[in-house]
Amino acid sequence: MSLIELKQVNKRYHNGADCVTALQELNLAVNEGTFLGVMGPSGSGKSTLLSVLGCLTSPSSGKVCVDEIDVYGLSQEKQADFRREYLGFIFQSHNLIPYLNALENVMLPLAVSKLSSAEKRERACNMLKRVGLPDRMLHLPQQLSGGEQERVAIARSLVNNPPLLLADEPTGSLDSATSLQVMNLLSELHQDGQTIIMVTHNRENLQWFDRTIYLRDGMIEKDSAGDARSFSKAV
Amino acid sequence: MRLEHIVLHNLRRRKGRAIFLVIGLLIGVATVVTLLSLTDAMGQRAQHELENFGANIIITPRSDVLSLNYGGIQLAGVNLVAKELEQSSLANIDDIPNRRNVATIAPKVLGAVEVDGQRIMMMGVDPAAEFKLKRWWSIAGRPVEQGHELLVGAAVVKRFNLNMGDTLKVNGQDFSVVGLLAKTGSQDDQLLIAPLDVAQATLGKPGQVSMVEIAALCHDCPVDDMVNQLQTVLPGTDVQAVQQVVKTRMHALGQFRLFAWGVAVTVVIIGALLVFVTMMGAISERTREIGIFRAIGYRRRHVLHLVLMEATIVSALAGVLGYLTGVAATLVALPLLDGGKASWQWNPTLAVAAVFAAIFVGLLASLQPAFRASRLEPSEALRAL
Repeated sequence: MSLIELKQVNKRYHNGADCVTALQELNLAVNEGTFLGVMGPSGSGKSTLLSVLGCLTSPSSGKVCVDEIDVYGLSQEKQADFRREYLGFIFQSHNLIPYLNALENVMLPLAVSKLSSAEKRERACNMLKRVGLPDRMLHLPQQLSGGEQERVAIARSLVNNPPLLLADEPTGSLDSATSLQVMNLLSELHQDGQTIIMVTHNRENLQWFDRTIYLRDGMIEKDSAGDARSFSKAV
Repeated sequence: MRLEHIVLHNLRRRKGRAIFLVIGLLIGVATVVTLLSLTDAMGQRAQHELENFGANIIITPRSDVLSLNYGGIQLAGVNLVAKELEQSSLANIDDIPNRRNVATIAPKVLGAVEVDGQRIMMMGVDPAAEFKLKRWWSIAGRPVEQGHELLVGAAVVKRFNLNMGDTLKVNGQDFSVVGLLAKTGSQDDQLLIAPLDVAQATLGKPGQVSMVEIAALCHDCPVDDMVNQLQTVLPGTDVQAVQQVVKTRMHALGQFRLFAWGVAVTVVIIGALLVFVTMMGAISERTREIGIFRAIGYRRRHVLHLVLMEATIVSALAGVLGYLTGVAATLVALPLLDGGKASWQWNPTLAVAAVFAAIFVGLLASLQPAFRASRLEPSEALRAL
């Protein structure tokens, strides 16, 4: 069953008289529990695809359905609720709030929920334990290493138990050892049934995905579905 | 973890900006509080002075004959028969709507008496009211209180070469001189002043008064209204306002109050602009942060809530500190401005109004930046990521 379905999705950016097409007639279906890698050269539309999937940028045309919900048919406020309940974001630059400690950063999505303070804290603590940071909860982001910050970001993205995790180059700014730790963590999550869509430039990450699409000029040039090995050679 | 938690952490982290905002608003609130407190204190002082300055309403029995007296000069050959008022009718003054504006009622009885074969004017007064009204009288000895006591005008003292403690035979009755009135340059110099009841008996006018002087505080009422009200409850009298005194003081106070409000409004506008500019800067600075909030599912109203709550906390703090600073400035400025005569009085309305006004101005100035922040598209904000 497809958790995500994109139909004839186009995204164009206008800058004065200039028009840049980021996504062209894109069709994509992603099953629940998939670890999908999105690759492609710069400007191929990877981040735009993630933004469109993440309900952050509305497509110029086409339809985006997540869990059979036409997300761009929702009002602005409902879209915010959708992001909170269905999506977890992991950004390349972690994007932790610098004045909140690790625990508070993880609790951030829960701040607007109706859970009790104790419940929020318990959930965030559990999530930090799950990403291997039980002893760094009260540290500010600046007191954490890049890898630890990334793990806090992952914990924050998961604290709401979202069905879909979107990661934009989560290992882009990390050294290879730390990248490996982060990928291991994402792989564990995937094995637990988490659906993950991850944008990456790094070919070494291909091994972790069970499906990879390669974008060029806003279109899917290659899709590994069913043939990962030949895909790997092709890219 | 709640939104308030984020706001407090943010304020703690950006202390410099928060302090700048608080100081900006604080100056505005303090200026307004200082000016209004000063105006208030000086207004109260002016009212108090008005009480002491003398009568500003005079009630006399109605006369059909025009007065031929000007500046103490009485035209020869004109002989007016003086009418009197019933003293009991003065109780009607309590019935006028502006009774609370009546500070002092000083009834007097006037009449000629004979001393050593010479005719002299005697004035009977209610000592408590009269001496409160005539604060400028300089008395050697003491004012009359009761019984056959006399306060003697300067001209009479000179004529009869009187000293304190002398006894004067007035209409055949012995009066003791308890006070000598220093020269006033007015008709008071020609008087023998005695307690009202004694004078009424001596003059053969029991229960009657010749005129009434009233000190009215017309801080918040027109004197003309009071004159009309008095005229209504005291038929058969002429009620006249010495309006110049009141109006000049009130006009001066009104001008000062207007000036104070002008300055206050200007300072508040500057404070509001300061908050506006600072909050706009803060929103630009926090674009990335707001993008994250929106991306992880904060609604627009949550972002609005964050910005406005921050503005409320800062403004409330500025309001409280501004009020306290304003009070301190008033206490310092009052002795310099009014020779230490005016005194500051705790005004709870001003205290509450200062805090609420600061919050109102802070929120008003933050509305646009808050709406701007809440309307930030997450994709736009995240483009900076």
